[in-house]
Amino acid sequence: MPNTLVKSSAESAFLDLHKKLLERGRPALAELQEIALRRFDSLRFPHSKHEMYTYVNTKELAATSFGLPDDAANVSEDFVSRHIYPGCEHQCLVFVDGTFDRGLSRFEGMRADIAPLSEADRELKNYLSETAANENDVFASLSTAFCGDGIIFKVDDNTQISDTLQVLFVSTGRAAAPVMHAPRLVWQLGKLSEVKVIEKFVGRDGGYFINSVQDWLLAEGAGVSFTQVQADVFDSWHFSKTRVHLNRDAKFYSTNASSGTQLARHHYEVWLKEKGSELKLNGISVLDGKEQVHNFVRIHHAAPQCVSRQHFKNIVNGAARSSFDGTVIVNREAQLTTSDQLVNNLMLSDNCHTNNKPNLMILADDVKCTHGVTVGQIDEDQWFYLQTRGLSAKAAKELLTRSFAQSIIQTIEFPAVVEELSGSLLQKLEATDA
Amino acid sequence: MLEIKNLHARVDGNEILEGISLTVKAGEIHAVMGPNGSGKSTLAKILSGHPSYEVADGQILFEKNNLLEMDAEERSLSGIFMGFQYPVEVPGVNNAEFLRMAFNARRVRDGEEEIDPLDFDELLSEKMKMLKMENKYKERNLNDGFSGGEKKKNEILQMAILKPKLAILDETDSGLDIDALRTVAEGVNSLRNEKNALILITHYQRLLDYIKPDFVHVLHKGKIVKSGDKALAIELESQGYDWVTTEN
Repeated sequence: MPNTLVKSSAESAFLDLHKKLLERGRPALAELQEIALRRFDSLRFPHSKHEMYTYVNTKELAATSFGLPDDAANVSEDFVSRHIYPGCEHQCLVFVDGTFDRGLSRFEGMRADIAPLSEADRELKNYLSETAANENDVFASLSTAFCGDGIIFKVDDNTQISDTLQVLFVSTGRAAAPVMHAPRLVWQLGKLSEVKVIEKFVGRDGGYFINSVQDWLLAEGAGVSFTQVQADVFDSWHFSKTRVHLNRDAKFYSTNASSGTQLARHHYEVWLKEKGSELKLNGISVLDGKEQVHNFVRIHHAAPQCVSRQHFKNIVNGAARSSFDGTVIVNREAQLTTSDQLVNNLMLSDNCHTNNKPNLMILADDVKCTHGVTVGQIDEDQWFYLQTRGLSAKAAKELLTRSFAQSIIQTIEFPAVVEELSGSLLQKLEATDA
Repeated sequence: MLEIKNLHARVDGNEILEGISLTVKAGEIHAVMGPNGSGKSTLAKILSGHPSYEVADGQILFEKNNLLEMDAEERSLSGIFMGFQYPVEVPGVNNAEFLRMAFNARRVRDGEEEIDPLDFDELLSEKMKMLKMENKYKERNLNDGFSGGEKKKNEILQMAILKPKLAILDETDSGLDIDALRTVAEGVNSLRNEKNALILITHYQRLLDYIKPDFVHVLHKGKIVKSGDKALAIELESQGYDWVTTEN
C-alpha cells in the first residue's frame, strides 16, 4: 500500500476498502494491484468536466460506500443454467462476484488453456504491469486494484475453436450494503486462431458495482467474434473496459447489447497495430425509466491498410440517458485506412437525453474516414405507411422501434442471443403508449 | 362504394382541393389524370387518411360510413388500400413478416384466427409468382434498397395479399419499365372483380392501355374539370393537358 496517498473522502473510502481486501490475505495479484492503486491515486475520480467523463456523472458512484463481496457467495446451478445460451452448456466460464468459479464452469475438452492470471508468463506480466501503470481511466485502475485472480484464456496458433464459448458474470448483489467487484480476463489468441465468445452480465439482486477489465491480444491472422449482453438489474453500476490489440490481419468483431442500469459505461480502447487488421464495433442499447448507458471509444490506427467500423444505436425512452464519445486516431503511418463511425439515436420521449461526440483525428493523408450522428424520433412517413396497411399506431411504432434495433441485432451470429434480444430487450418498450 | 362530395382540402394553409365530387361504385375503375400540382396525390393522401392533410369542407362516405372520422388503420381494415407513389423504405422490418402482420390484422378484425405461417408463405409465394417477383423479396426488408420498379411491384403484392375493396394506386406506373408495367397491370387486372373498385391516379395514358378504366377524370387546380370514358385519356395523350386546362 503506497503511503503517499492524500485524498478526498471518496478516494479514501476505496483505499480503506482495499485495506480490508488485504486483511483477507495477500491477493494473488498483489504487485499488479499495488501498481493500479498508485495509478488510481494519481488519476483520482473525475470532476464534472473531465474529458473522459464529460457526459457521465460518477459523483454518486464515487460517493457510495462499497463493501467487498462475500467470499462464499452461493449461486445455484439452476440460476446459472437459466443464463447459459443453448449450445454453450459445455463451454462456459462463470464468474461470481468477480471471481472465477471453477465449479460452475464447464470447459472440459476445450482446445484452449485456461489458467489463473497469477500464472502469467513474464511477458504477459510485464504487459499487465505496464498497462496498469499507464492506465488512463480511473475506474479501470480501480478495477485492477481490486481484481481477484482473473483468468487467462489462451488459444494456440492455428487453433480454431468452432464451439461458442460463453462467459457468464453473475453479481449476487446486496441492496442494503452495496458491494464492488472486479472480474479480470486476458484473452491471448495465437496466430490464425479463432474463437467465438458471448459474454452475459446478470445480477441476482441489486446493490452491486461490477467493474470489469479485459484485454484481447490477437496475434497475426487471429479472429474473434465477440458478443456482450449487459442484462444487469437496474439498481447496479456496470463499468467495463475492453482493450484490444490487433496484429497483422487480425480481426475483432464485437457487438454489445445493453439494457442499461442506473449507470453503465463501456470503455473500448483498440489498437490496430499491424497492416490488414480489422475491427467491427457495434452497440445497441434500449433504455427506459432512468437507465443509462455511456460508450467511450478510442481507436488507434497505427498501421496501414487497416479497417475499423463502428455502429452504435440507442433507443432512449422515459428519462433515460445515453452518450457516445468516440475518437478514431489515424497515425501518420496508417495510410489507406478505412474507418467509419456512425451513431443513431431514436428518442421516444420528451424527457430522454443523449449526448454524442464523434471525433476523427487524422494525421495520414491517404485515408477514407467517415463519422456521423443522427438523433431523431419515429419517422412519420414510415409510421403512416404501416398504418395504411392496417397496423395500429401502437403496433406500427413498436415495429419501427424494433426495426431500428434490428440492423445491429442482426449482426450477432448467435441465433439464441438474437432471439433473446429481439424479445426481452425490446419488450420493455412495448408498454409505451403510441 | 365511395362517395366524395364537394371535398375541399388544405395543406399548410394552402387550399389544394377546391370542391371535388366523385362517386365510385363496386366493379368500376376510375382514372384520375391531371398535370403536376393539380391535386391528384393530395386526393389519394386524403383518402388514405394522412394526418398532414386538412379537410376544410365536404364529405367522404365509404360504404355509407364517414371516412373522415376513420384513422388510417381503420380505413385499411375496412378495405381501402393506398398504393403509394413513393413507397417508404423501412429497414429492419422483414417484408414477408410485415405482410403477414398486415394480413393478420385484417383477419383479427374480422374475428378470424391468425393465419398459420406456412399457409401464409404459400399464399405469398403464389402472389409473388403472379407478379414475377423472386423469392428473395421475402427475406429482404420492406422496400429497403428496392429499385423504383421493385417498390411498385411490392405495393401491388401488398394489394394482392390484402385484397382491398377499394384500391387507390397513386402513380403506380411511374418508375416502371415496359415489362414491369405489363406485369403490374396484369397483377392488378387479376385482382379485379365486380365487388371491388379501383382509382388509378396517373399522368400518362400508357397505364390505361393495360388497365382499362370505365371513367376518366381530369383534375386541374383542385377541381375535376372534365370527365369521360377511356376516349378522354387518348384525347389527352394526343392533345396534352392544355387542351383541357385552357378551356377551364
